[in-house]
Amino acid sequence: MKVPVSWLSEYVDLTGLSIKDLSDKLTFSGIEVEGVETVGFTNRENYVVGEVRACEPHPNADRLRLCRVFDGVEELQIVCGAPNVAAGQKVCLAKIGAVMPDGSNLKKAKIRGIESFGMLCAEDELGLSNKHEGLLILDSKFAAGTPLVEALPPPDTIFDLEITWNRPDCLSIIGIAREFAALLERPVKLPEVSFPENGHPIEKLAAVRVEDAALCPRYTARVLTGIQDGPAPAWMQRRLEQCGVRPISLIVDVTNYVMLECGQPLHAFDYHRVTDHTIVVRRARAGETMSTLDGVTRTLDNQMLVIADPQAAVAVAGVMGGAGSEIAVNSTDAVLLESATFHAPSVKRTSTLLNLKTESSRRFERTVDPGLSDWASRRAITLLVQHGGGTVARGAIDVDHRPAGPRQVALRFGRCCSVIGVELAEERMVRILTGLGLQLADRNAERALFAIPSWRVDLEIEADLIEEVARIHGLAAIPDRAAQSFAVSGADDAGVRAVALCRHALLGLGFTEAMNYSFLSAAEMDAFDTRAARTRLTLPNPVSTDYAVMRDSLLPQLIGALGRNFARQAEAVTLFEMGRVFWRDAAGNPAEEERLAIVLCGPAGRGALDCRRPVTNEEAALWLKGVLEALAARLHAGVVALRPATHPAMEPGWAEEILLDNEAVGVLGLAHAALRHPYRMNVPMALAELKLLPLLAGVGRVAPAKNVPPFPAVRRDLAFVAPSRVQHAEIVETIRQAGVADLIGVRLFDIFESKEIGRGKRSLAYAIEFRSPSRTLTDDEVNLSLQKIIQALKQKLLVEIREG
Amino acid sequence: MTLAELDVLREQSLAELRAAADAAALEPVRIRYLGRNGQIPALMKQLKDVPAADRPEFGRRANAWRAELEAALAGRQTVAAPREDAVPFDPTLPGRWHTLGTMHPISRVIEEVCRIFNRLGFVVADGPDIETRFNNFTALNTPAHHPSLDETDTFWLGADQLLRTQTSPVQIRVMTSQKPPVRIVTPGRCYRRDTTDATHSANFHQIEGLYVDTRPVSLADLKATLACFAREMMGPSVGVRFRPHFFPFTEPSVEVDFSCHVCGGSGCRVCKQSGWIEIAGAGMIDPRVYQLIGYNPEEVYGYAFGMGVERIAMIRYGITDIRHLYENDVRFLGQFA
Ligand SMILES: [Zn+2]
Repeated sequence: MKVPVSWLSEYVDLTGLSIKDLSDKLTFSGIEVEGVETVGFTNRENYVVGEVRACEPHPNADRLRLCRVFDGVEELQIVCGAPNVAAGQKVCLAKIGAVMPDGSNLKKAKIRGIESFGMLCAEDELGLSNKHEGLLILDSKFAAGTPLVEALPPPDTIFDLEITWNRPDCLSIIGIAREFAALLERPVKLPEVSFPENGHPIEKLAAVRVEDAALCPRYTARVLTGIQDGPAPAWMQRRLEQCGVRPISLIVDVTNYVMLECGQPLHAFDYHRVTDHTIVVRRARAGETMSTLDGVTRTLDNQMLVIADPQAAVAVAGVMGGAGSEIAVNSTDAVLLESATFHAPSVKRTSTLLNLKTESSRRFERTVDPGLSDWASRRAITLLVQHGGGTVARGAIDVDHRPAGPRQVALRFGRCCSVIGVELAEERMVRILTGLGLQLADRNAERALFAIPSWRVDLEIEADLIEEVARIHGLAAIPDRAAQSFAVSGADDAGVRAVALCRHALLGLGFTEAMNYSFLSAAEMDAFDTRAARTRLTLPNPVSTDYAVMRDSLLPQLIGALGRNFARQAEAVTLFEMGRVFWRDAAGNPAEEERLAIVLCGPAGRGALDCRRPVTNEEAALWLKGVLEALAARLHAGVVALRPATHPAMEPGWAEEILLDNEAVGVLGLAHAALRHPYRMNVPMALAELKLLPLLAGVGRVAPAKNVPPFPAVRRDLAFVAPSRVQHAEIVETIRQAGVADLIGVRLFDIFESKEIGRGKRSLAYAIEFRSPSRTLTDDEVNLSLQKIIQALKQKLLVEIREG
Repeated sequence: MTLAELDVLREQSLAELRAAADAAALEPVRIRYLGRNGQIPALMKQLKDVPAADRPEFGRRANAWRAELEAALAGRQTVAAPREDAVPFDPTLPGRWHTLGTMHPISRVIEEVCRIFNRLGFVVADGPDIETRFNNFTALNTPAHHPSLDETDTFWLGADQLLRTQTSPVQIRVMTSQKPPVRIVTPGRCYRRDTTDATHSANFHQIEGLYVDTRPVSLADLKATLACFAREMMGPSVGVRFRPHFFPFTEPSVEVDFSCHVCGGSGCRVCKQSGWIEIAGAGMIDPRVYQLIGYNPEEVYGYAFGMGVERIAMIRYGITDIRHLYENDVRFLGQFA
């Protein structure tokens, strides 16, 4: 909200305070100063009052004049294009070297062959307004050569304030003045509101019927006849412009002026065009239409409040007037002035549904002081009569359904001090609150009781008063003492710590953490998997179609991230994300779950000097499996196993279900070529996604420590060629089932295929370890066990043992 | 062989070792005593011939001799000059180990903030992204016609369900399930219908804190706690100031500025010349919130605060555009090692 300081100072004495002081006072009492703008003429150098001594046509141009202007010392030859320039005028003269509003320096110029030694200025060229209709003509009392700053109105400062939602009373100049009054302990000076009431009794001239008092607690109407409309006085127009309101004509300008001044939106109806001179405040009929001032035809519903005459609606209450009773410049000589209070949520609903935000609705939807309507009405009539004349009807119609009496709220001195954490004198607390306009109703040793002024709709309970004391006393006074910190028991954050543990384990495994939005486009999800399309959680009001659906998998975006990094020539990319996925459950209710997704491409599992050899599908898939195994070990999550599955996003034959201690928890596989294609990715991309909860379930599990075995283990290496269809797990199982004692480990340490071995076969080498808990094993014992294992392998799996 | 003979042999072997001039001269000594057919293995084989009474001591001394000789030999071998034709080690070659991944700056900030508040006795609490109207608005004393409830501001999933706009509903969940004292911080993802630009994202993260107790807790305690946090997070000379503000669930409500960690308060580009940077919103919990969740407002005191994670990350790391945080470009993320 814009607040010109000169206007503000009409209601409260601001002497002795700089603009910086004023700005700080506001900022540190709760009103943020978003901007400070200086308007008006501030330029001192080379601007003087000039006297036009002669004014002749330019010999080479019809529209230009050749003037001789006296600057107090000498006469200057100046070419001027303004139509209103004439000899004898006192004008604003910018001499050579003057700084123009655009920052340039005025230079001697040759205009149509004639030299010009300066410029005569219009209002816009002085930064006073946007007007460029002609020269600004000064009062003849100023002597030529007088510095121009002395002849023009002093510059003004305009604050741009952010008013918090709880303080609708501050959406006015007087509201801000009240804040300063409390901060400076100076009185508020309200303007005079008085006018002669010479007309007929208002009851003879108009009637008001309020049919819905809940939506319109108060309606005040006055009638003014015989007014002469026309332009509002210049000072009023200037203030409106400073506040961003376009001046129109006296009647409209006064309603806007009073609204800016005190916060009460007013509406002036053309008295002659209100049928039967009767105002009916009622709900609209469902489907009722009316055309508003902006020329749009609006369809209303039966919860919207309208101002109507007996025939038709003439305004959407508190939002905008209707085109039918609009007051244009000089269109009427009689006004029915509405000053009313409307129910805030109702106005908000209406203006939202009609998509119509006005200065009026902006104030009503945040609550307008119900005590204000009569004062504002009288204030507007005062100004109208002052500047437009006319006859005011005797009395006012004031349909008033406000609850009787002001609200009373008590402040306990002790509670106030303990909440703020500062010891304040009781007198100080009382003075702060009375300074804000609260009336002290009662007081004893423990507490003071205050009557709340009608404009402070936000003050309802003691905490509200404590806030007032804190902010007016100043928050800088609160000491920054040592923080009290002691543990609160009973709370459990093991889950959060487990997530952090998982994250750090993945960082240690060389994966970089990614983060994506929770929503994406349906198309992106379709490209990944359409099987769950019907249970997706779609946003009813998305920001855009790019972010229309809540993700039900972390993989689509992570694949995109991997692909884009690959396309930017990253050699190996390893990413993970921990986040939530969303869907609609069987009952249609939104559901969510924590997931972990891991993706990789490139030679991620190799050393730096071995990264140019192509990565095989098997390598990529097994790297990712290895990561899961390491993670599961770190998190005590059990045994990781893969089980063949199918998945539309994976290459056929390369989709696996992830089992954690035999429970299915997610998928692992190689991305389908169609998903890699957009990034021209011709290398395998391995993906895994799993539920986080089962992965983290074992974190914090403590197993009793075992002693180190006292006897040495004996290791024997065993290499053999097996048919490729024989799986590693079968080999391990066969070795374990061979019936040998003291077998403690079977570990694959080499695997390869080659021409020498032949097609459909591969060479495998296992390290087999034996250890007895009670003695050192002899070579003979171990050799015997090994023979048994070899026999079992040969018999069951038809392997050929490689010698050497 | 007797124990005395063994000691003589030991002295002799050590003397030979000392006398050896270079690595070449060491080798015959090693073979003589430690080789497969050397003196010490031979001695071990003869152990059964030693009188039973002396056997343990003999074995112990023989083993000690072997260890001593091996250690001395190892010591001599390392200082032995390298052979002239050996390829010298190139210590400038890159090390060979896999590199670590990097944590996302948002996670870093969350972990860092939680770590600091952990030390101040706060416990981390968590809640769902999909929330109810009651937890996200009503219980937080937000009037039904407050603009934050508008369809234009909040992602509603139905009349009663929405994507949380703040992590405060976690505070409601914790308070409705346990009695005071409650001292928690709640990091998490939130959603508002903002159009994405350099400083806004419809999907963002917040960390809020809450402390409710039956002993008096004041604005001064809040200021002290946040001042402590400011020093830990931004540096020992950073201070805090409060400006009054409005939030529906706190009363009094304040905005919290930290003095600029870059310029120390004299004004720079980071703090837009003001010397201060807006970091958090905070305040004393509104008694109406206690009423709504079933605490007796007369019996409890408490404060709450909240801050945007992305904003802190941007200030902390000098990130100029919030969108960089969600692009997952490894060239960007790799900086945060
Ligand atoms: Zn700075």
